[in-house]
Amino acid sequence: MADLFSGLRDLDRTRRESDAELLRRILVHVRPYRGVVLLVAAVIVVSSVWETALPLLITHGIDHLHSTATSSSTLAGLVALILVGVLLAWLCNWVRQRQIGRLIGAVVLQLQRQTFAAVLRQDMSFFDRRPSGQIASYITADTQAFASVVTLGVNFLGQLVLVALVAVVLVCVHPSLAAVVLGISILLVAAALMFRNLGRTTTRHARRILATVNALVQESIRAIAIAKNFRQEERVYDRFRRVNTQLYDVSLRQGLVFASIHPMLNILTGLGLCLILYEGGRTVLSGETTAGQWFLAMQILGVLWLPLMEIASFWSQFQLGLAAAERVFDLLEQPPRVVQIGAVVPPRLAGHIEFKAIRFGYGGQSEVFRDFHLDIAGGEKVGLVGHTGSGKTSLTRLLARFYEFAEGEVLVDGHDIRSFDLAAYRRQIGLVPQHPTLFHGTILENIRYVRPGATESEVAAIASRIGSGRWLDAFPDGLATSVGESGWSLSMGQRQLVALARVLLLDPAIVILDEATASVDPLTEREIYESLKLVLEDRTAVVIAHRLSTVRELDRIVALRQGNIIEQGTHDELLARGGYYAELYETFYRHQETDYEALPVTGR
Amino acid sequence: MNGPYATSTRAARWIASHVWRHKGYVLAFIALAIAGNILLAIIPMLTGAAFDEILGPAPGQGRSQVLVLAILGAVLVRGGTSLLGAGAMEVFAQRLERDARDQFYSTLLRKNLAFHQRQRVGDLMARTTDDVRLLDPMMSPGMAHLFNAVACIVPSIVFAGRISLELLIAPCLFTCGLVAGTVHHVRRFHPIASEVRRQSGALNAEVVQTLSGIELTKWSGQEEQAARRLQRSAERCRDLVVAQADIQARYLPPLLLGLSLAVAVLHGSVLMGRGELSVGNFVAYIGLMTTLRGPTQLLLAAVIAIQEGLAGARRVLAVIDDPIDDEHATSGHRARILGELVFERLSFSYDGATVLNDISFRVAPGETVALVGPAGAGKTTLSRLINRTYDVGEGRILIDGVDVRAWAFDSLRTQIAVVEQDVLLFSDTVRANVGFGLEEEQQRRVEQATERAQAHQFVTALRDGYDTVIGERGVTLSGGQRQRLALARALAIDPAVLILDDATSALDSATEDQIQRAMIEVSRSRTTVLITHRLSQIRRADRIVLLIGGHIVDQGSHDELLRRCKPYRRIFGAPVRPTTSALVAGEGGA
Repeated sequence: MADLFSGLRDLDRTRRESDAELLRRILVHVRPYRGVVLLVAAVIVVSSVWETALPLLITHGIDHLHSTATSSSTLAGLVALILVGVLLAWLCNWVRQRQIGRLIGAVVLQLQRQTFAAVLRQDMSFFDRRPSGQIASYITADTQAFASVVTLGVNFLGQLVLVALVAVVLVCVHPSLAAVVLGISILLVAAALMFRNLGRTTTRHARRILATVNALVQESIRAIAIAKNFRQEERVYDRFRRVNTQLYDVSLRQGLVFASIHPMLNILTGLGLCLILYEGGRTVLSGETTAGQWFLAMQILGVLWLPLMEIASFWSQFQLGLAAAERVFDLLEQPPRVVQIGAVVPPRLAGHIEFKAIRFGYGGQSEVFRDFHLDIAGGEKVGLVGHTGSGKTSLTRLLARFYEFAEGEVLVDGHDIRSFDLAAYRRQIGLVPQHPTLFHGTILENIRYVRPGATESEVAAIASRIGSGRWLDAFPDGLATSVGESGWSLSMGQRQLVALARVLLLDPAIVILDEATASVDPLTEREIYESLKLVLEDRTAVVIAHRLSTVRELDRIVALRQGNIIEQGTHDELLARGGYYAELYETFYRHQETDYEALPVTGR
Repeated sequence: MNGPYATSTRAARWIASHVWRHKGYVLAFIALAIAGNILLAIIPMLTGAAFDEILGPAPGQGRSQVLVLAILGAVLVRGGTSLLGAGAMEVFAQRLERDARDQFYSTLLRKNLAFHQRQRVGDLMARTTDDVRLLDPMMSPGMAHLFNAVACIVPSIVFAGRISLELLIAPCLFTCGLVAGTVHHVRRFHPIASEVRRQSGALNAEVVQTLSGIELTKWSGQEEQAARRLQRSAERCRDLVVAQADIQARYLPPLLLGLSLAVAVLHGSVLMGRGELSVGNFVAYIGLMTTLRGPTQLLLAAVIAIQEGLAGARRVLAVIDDPIDDEHATSGHRARILGELVFERLSFSYDGATVLNDISFRVAPGETVALVGPAGAGKTTLSRLINRTYDVGEGRILIDGVDVRAWAFDSLRTQIAVVEQDVLLFSDTVRANVGFGLEEEQQRRVEQATERAQAHQFVTALRDGYDTVIGERGVTLSGGQRQRLALARALAIDPAVLILDDATSALDSATEDQIQRAMIEVSRSRTTVLITHRLSQIRRADRIVLLIGGHIVDQGSHDELLRRCKPYRRIFGAPVRPTTSALVAGEGGA
């Protein structure tokens, strides 16, 4: 059940579809569960009827007992009715909670299944445009909000039915008291809406500040190590106290606002009751009203209170739910941009790559390639160098079919790569990224991820060829060592070795290597260098080269600037030419020479 | 840190001590709550009296108007007390949280450096700050609702008894049922609610992890495997949610309230029929029973919040009460360090594994020593033994001939500076950061140190120069810039011994030049223990110590080691081809 404080987030005003349209689509989506929904609705209506009936019964009892003689059978009947009603109400609630739990569980699970599939279908442009936290929230939070729209709607209808029933009954029983009660109800709803607004504004202000302050608290904790090194514990403690006080001030302000909302509403309700009491008493004195009816009017306000609060919180929560539903629908309907036109399973490729007249851009921004041509022979090792944004990464991504290009062709062994079965094609490409992903598991499992069918001995054989196998000596359990959450226990260099092992295991025709720029300890650097030569052997390689040692091993270097090839040749040739590549060398590779010495300051 | 949680008694006593500290607010709340709830119970009584007056034999407009005004007054006063009471409790709750955080922080300050090195890897700190945040809702609204519930039930029962002792049956039965029902329910609900939270956190983490590794998944065609894993997690969530809903559905107190109400109506009606109860009293009685609806709704949430808060308090106290790893300020030897380091047959173990074994070497004052070796060889550990981040197991370290353990912490730490791999700068001005180790009077050293660390140029290029705020709320700096500021910070205190753990890399040669120059400046005329990948720095070192597997394999200059040490050659072996820089020597390079 919604309470007064839920759904106070700011509404995103960028929705496209109308409420009605979205609601219709949600209902269509939930159609398979209509049985449960109807059951829940029915149960809620029954509860509402009972809630209206109980005060009526009591009223009847009062009037009856007050005016005529007691008939024990009538009394017994009355009480029996009340007992049955109470049991029925509790049972209805029992059914309602269980069924809603199942309904939400089922709807959310189905939506999550669909959103997983939709997300995994997408090409890399989808992931590059959005932080992974945002995508995760589509899958975990938005699906929940979607499901809650249904229950929200059903609950709301139930509350409306209740209020309508009560209004009808009251009007039938006593029109002028009814007017008073209904008037008060409207005022209460208006007050609740106003307080919700206040709550939302306060939350908005507090949230921004709290995020910063909390980060500062975390920083203060991390700062202790430094403080100890410099014997500045006092200073660090003073900083912390200032931040802590700030946190206290902001939280207190927010807390006080929220703590005062219920008491204020209670005051208003109490004032309403006084009004009913006065008006009812007056009309009883003048004979227009019975005692029972007077009592009824007072009880009714109590019955109405919670439903009124829920009605007040309904609209904004409903809007939030609709916004979430729209995001979910958008995600489910998002077409993947990388679409294959055929599904040919390629034979073992020789690795002859041709880029022909490629036009490509990241959508909205200026184009990366306008009319790009490049021919790579099978078995050739080509390096791509250039400043950021020159197109190096884009080229490799087009080759791996992570992105779709606008015009032109990419051919491998003369075949358009769009005609291949994507999974089969990708299995012939080995990818070594800048920041290799490791997941929770052993080193063995991490290597084997790319070919789950590989046996342990196969993986062990591969691992021992990397860096003469000695890199495994650093691990207490060798291949069976756990790498920890996201592989945190491995150094940068060791992660690269795992990535290289993966490629060796896959044994692809083409290798795409995006070198890391981080410095790595000299021994691992050596092992990486040796492993690289192994991995590049007998394969076509496209390398985004950041290491001088790699650059020197390549057959050809392609120097790019803003999507255009400026120079091509071997490292020695280009350096001797003294042109664009030589400039790049000065900026990026000079300091990697083994005899490098820092240049003295030139009085700039 | 992984010891047992503090006991509930300890947690309760700790909270009680905080209650005492802010007793003003707590007493105010209690007084206001009692007053408010008495008024809450009086209102039905007055209402009943109004009924009797109107329905009675001689209805007087005047008297009933007085009653209505009295009720109005009661409503307003009651509203006022509940408003103020809620406010008072909120203030107390926030102060409790603030003080708990403060106490926790002081505890952390007490711990020694080894503790902090370890904890950097775990997220114990993040979890504990989350636990502290459970304290506010525990009090407000948790404890507030609980107290209000009790304060509501008691007057209701008392007043009901005043009407007629017989009428106590229904409310008393209800109260017992409410308490028993709530306790029973919480015991079954709480574990599953925690499970639901844990599982949905796990699902979220899995989704995020899958997303951050999406390139790998797509490339290796493992989308199906990923989808199946996520699906299994989601199914587990669904099962738990359904089980939780089932337990929630079985919450009995609303049924008990309904039944008690029925009993109350029956009883009241019988008495009314017999003429022993006036209509007004009946109305009052039903009104009192209706006030019990409030506690029914609030009690469950209150108990859960209190339980969570207590659990959080126990976890926080486990850290606060733990005396392990406390650093004790010792007296000891104080002198100006010249910088001679002697390691004598040093051994060190951690978690049962031997990290360093029989290490012996000597560093003369002003020398630069480079510790070299594969990852995990013990280099960082060795360097941290010098400033007593860790204490040696066997053997000893002598600084200027005095055992490190005999030196006063103060003297040691102010003369030995450590520049960590993971540079931490504060959200504060550049000046404050670089001058962190300095007293007020010495602040002028800041600019000098920054200049020597090759950072002056980029600092003055920032918008506010030295007064620019960096970090969380300010400008973001590159890795190379941050390291140079850390070097400046170390330089500013002019230490006799510098431990430099260098792990940054420069993207371009110009930055690399600056970092190299900074490192040269920093190690000039002071004893420097250097851990670095940078070959040119290693070559420059006066001595290189090669550590493999916790042993010293060899030590000497770069050329000596190249000549005679096979493992060293393996790491730093000469390249196969002549260096390219020789080829471009004539091209006017930089």
